[in-house]
Amino acid sequence: MDRQQIEQRVVKVVCRVLNVDPDMVRPESNFVFDLGAESTQSVALMAGFEQEFGIEMEQEAALAVDTVGGAAEFIEKVCREQGIEVDE
Amino acid sequence: MTRLTKYSTDEGPGEYPRDRIFRPKSIAVMGVTPTPGTVPYDIFYNILSSGYTGVLYPVAPGRRSISSVRAYRYLTDIDDEVDLAVIVFPAAVCERALEMCGQKGVKGVIMISAGFREVGPAGAKREQRIRDVCRDFDISLVGPNCLGVINTDPEIRMNASFARKMPAEGRIAFLSQSGALCTAVLDYARAKQIGFSKFVSFGNKAGVTEIGLLDYLHKDDKTDVILLYLEELRDARGLIEEAKKISHGPNAKPILAIKAGRTPQGADAASSHTGSLAGEDAVCEAVFREAGIIRVDSIEKLFNTALLLTNQPMPAGDHLAIVTNAGGPGVMATDAAVGAGLQMARFTPETTDRLRAALPAAANVKNPVDVIGDARSDRYEAALEAVLADPDVHEALVILTPQSMTNIDEIARGVVRVNAGSDKPLACSFMGASDVQSGIEILQAAHVPHYILPEWACQAMADVQRIRRWRDTPLVPFEPLPVDRAAAGAVIDRSPSGYLQEDEALTVLAAYGLPTAPHRLCRSVKEAVAFADRLGYPAVLHVVSPQIIHKFEVKGVALNLADAEALAAAYEAMMANLAEVMPTAEIRGVLVLPMIPPGHEVILGAKRDPGFGPTLMFGLGGLFVEIFRDVTFGLAPIDAGTASRMVRGIRSIDLLRGARGMEAADLVGIELCLRQLGQLISDFKRIAELDINPLIAGPPERGCMVASARIRLE
Repeated sequence: MDRQQIEQRVVKVVCRVLNVDPDMVRPESNFVFDLGAESTQSVALMAGFEQEFGIEMEQEAALAVDTVGGAAEFIEKVCREQGIEVDE
Repeated sequence: MTRLTKYSTDEGPGEYPRDRIFRPKSIAVMGVTPTPGTVPYDIFYNILSSGYTGVLYPVAPGRRSISSVRAYRYLTDIDDEVDLAVIVFPAAVCERALEMCGQKGVKGVIMISAGFREVGPAGAKREQRIRDVCRDFDISLVGPNCLGVINTDPEIRMNASFARKMPAEGRIAFLSQSGALCTAVLDYARAKQIGFSKFVSFGNKAGVTEIGLLDYLHKDDKTDVILLYLEELRDARGLIEEAKKISHGPNAKPILAIKAGRTPQGADAASSHTGSLAGEDAVCEAVFREAGIIRVDSIEKLFNTALLLTNQPMPAGDHLAIVTNAGGPGVMATDAAVGAGLQMARFTPETTDRLRAALPAAANVKNPVDVIGDARSDRYEAALEAVLADPDVHEALVILTPQSMTNIDEIARGVVRVNAGSDKPLACSFMGASDVQSGIEILQAAHVPHYILPEWACQAMADVQRIRRWRDTPLVPFEPLPVDRAAAGAVIDRSPSGYLQEDEALTVLAAYGLPTAPHRLCRSVKEAVAFADRLGYPAVLHVVSPQIIHKFEVKGVALNLADAEALAAAYEAMMANLAEVMPTAEIRGVLVLPMIPPGHEVILGAKRDPGFGPTLMFGLGGLFVEIFRDVTFGLAPIDAGTASRMVRGIRSIDLLRGARGMEAADLVGIELCLRQLGQLISDFKRIAELDINPLIAGPPERGCMVASARIRLE
């Protein structure tokens, strides 16, 4: 699994759900503080990630992730646990 | 030796720091979202729509604008200076937002966000980090977990809160620890046409507390009356010192408060009388009394009194005149007035003649004046003018019941006219709802206080009298007493935690000037008799044992022993009994003391309360103190005035003054003992609890004497 690929796809979901430009998004970007996510959008992000990667995430753990890079790391771990290969 | 106040006194040069919060020239709302009905959006929109006169910046990452106002991603993207930041981000990112405020040079912050101390240990840690950032950057913080701040001054017009509407401008400031209560109060006040100068929900008090806010409002020329809703007192001594300055002295402003909820209690069950009686509410009552804060028990009463304070002058005394067109309500109002502590004025013959000339023969010209049911505005005005001109009348209450011929609006206008020409306060009760409504509106428009029921008016007037009496009470400055601290310290410092032996306790008390009888700890009957022979009879024996706290209950006290034989017999009997009922108790000896001549038995106590600090208690003592519960409290150390108020504040003070042929007690001597006790517990942090029960208070020529004492050390 390529972390960079995961990150790119995470950014794609983030830009779609939060309606932000990709150039605003960095690995260290906090969903709320840097990207303006509202509380309802946190759930939408989680759903978006699940759909994008074909995984199921434990809600409490997923919602505790607060940065883009953190999300990529979390998704990478879940993919590994659930035996999902990340395609381009 | 007065303790310094602990609250923040961060007055910066050239500017009163709270102006950053109340009078900002620019506000940034950090964490705004574009969704109406959410707290982040509504806060922003409220500031915008309230007519705020400064510049408003929404900080909304990912948005170009909010409600057509250009938005910024970060606070630091704003070129201009920002006076106040209102943070509405979720708690997890508030620290980062606050740091950015510090970097930007923002000195005032309102943190609306919840998720701090109130949610548990993790939130408490988060809140501590917030405090640290505020300290590092010298930021004045309101909140977190608050509704916000409102300033109705037309020069500012700021509704930085998520209350539904901006209140009307007024002269009352309201400070609340409960955000939810604030919204209810605002709605209630709106219905009553009550306006505010400032309205603050201060939440968790991580930064600015009610003490700092009181200080600000004292200097605020838009505020005449301060209302306070508290759930906890963290710095009772600080509140007393600040509130005294405000409620008494130059530019005095009344403070009224509701106190609800519980302060943190000590973990251990108290083993002393003081500990068991000093519940947080009783001590809180004492704190408010000492501070000159008028405590009420409902929002209704809070505003009933505030209405009178802001719209009418302070009365010169407590003599009330009532003018009514209905006898029944007049009598009920009289009962309510007297029950609330007011006095009914006695008219001069001139006033009575004037009333007789103006009213029909059937009218009652005594107080309450009954102008009778068919009265119209002419009779009301004549009666009211006559009673207000009477030198014995300090304030008046007008009662109206709507009869068919009652010209309500004209009567209201007449009352307004008379009120405008008088320097004495008055209030009205137009009883009813529908027919009297237009008359009530005439009164309210002219700032004549109106109450649905006369009893409410009487209660408000009684509260105003408490304020007047407080202002007329001279405050005595605290003066430390001459004591032998070293002698007391010599005993305390060498003693382990737990109870001091009674002879040691008496030594400590004597070092602080409390009157103790000569005594000796004797370890044999021979020693006891020898000492008693020198001391004189009658004598008293007290067993001394670390395991025996309540001596009377195990017959560990023998009183009034007339001679050596009686003393020896009592000694032997005491030892035999204790061997049977408490065989494992370590008996260190028996304290021999003289029998104190009879007098009034009072209790003096002290305990170190985790919330309030060192607390004193006074009351009628003896075995049944916890049954009678006739006690008063104060925070140590106390001045002479507070000692006097404590002693003379018990319900049964008349007993101590001498009733039914009993001798009067040495009240001044008792007051001195209280002050000495207060100084003792303030000086020695190891003292956890202390009871003197009883202190035998003889007449002034004989004075007081400690009969028994217990001191527990930590």
